[in-house]
Amino acid sequence: MISCKRVANLLMSDQLQSQSWWKRLEVRLHLAMCDLCSRLARQLVRLRDGARQMRDPDEPDPGLEERVIRRLYRQ
Amino acid sequence: MSDALLQRLRRREPEALAEAVRDHARPLFRAAKALGFSTQEAEDLVQDVFATFLERLDSFEGRSQLRTWLFGILHRKALERRRSSIVEERMDPIDDLFESRFDANGKWSRPPADLERLMLSKEIGELIRGCMAGLPANQREAFVLREVEGLETAEICKILDVSVTNFGVLMHRARAKLRECLESRGWNQR
Repeated sequence: MISCKRVANLLMSDQLQSQSWWKRLEVRLHLAMCDLCSRLARQLVRLRDGARQMRDPDEPDPGLEERVIRRLYRQ
Repeated sequence: MSDALLQRLRRREPEALAEAVRDHARPLFRAAKALGFSTQEAEDLVQDVFATFLERLDSFEGRSQLRTWLFGILHRKALERRRSSIVEERMDPIDDLFESRFDANGKWSRPPADLERLMLSKEIGELIRGCMAGLPANQREAFVLREVEGLETAEICKILDVSVTNFGVLMHRARAKLRECLESRGWNQR
């Protein structure tokens, strides 16, 4: 039986997809049974979704593309 | 990148150049901002990326995606500005902190706190931004490319010039630090 620590490490390091089919199944079964690991998995998804919310305030001043192109032509 | 677009770019066709800038300037700008550069610095970086892109266009063989190449240039420019290195430290205190959450059998001894309410709050984006400011540049860059820009692992490894294992270490540490940071803020709010 795969341990919580191993599952957490695979989730945190983004290495789950590179594991064997069997290992991925083990992790899925573990997550179905373990509330704490599934809480961690849920939090990592929320962390990604929250990080994507940062994108909006990071919009550049209007006209970025035009300024980039203008400078390229000046060179 | 298609051969046709590459040929048009090599001929310096204005429309092809404009297409490349339109498709990639904003994602590059967002990534530069998320890496901690100011709005003006981020715009300068984007300008630099495209200037370098034009200078080196003739040596680009088109084997990787245009996006991978541009983000690779951004990565190197950001490193130059910070005069830092992507080489990950062998030891990071977060590794021990993460280890301490498990007992000898690999079971949770200090489980992750329930942050559901915090994670669903409107302020979560701002909270994460604050926590990200505390990440080392290399961990922040890996996290931004993967989680904010949604790039695939193989593409990120090419951009950052790191192995898949090294990328895993960067992601693990970035997520662990962000979780710890949010957990401490979540507790403070109660």
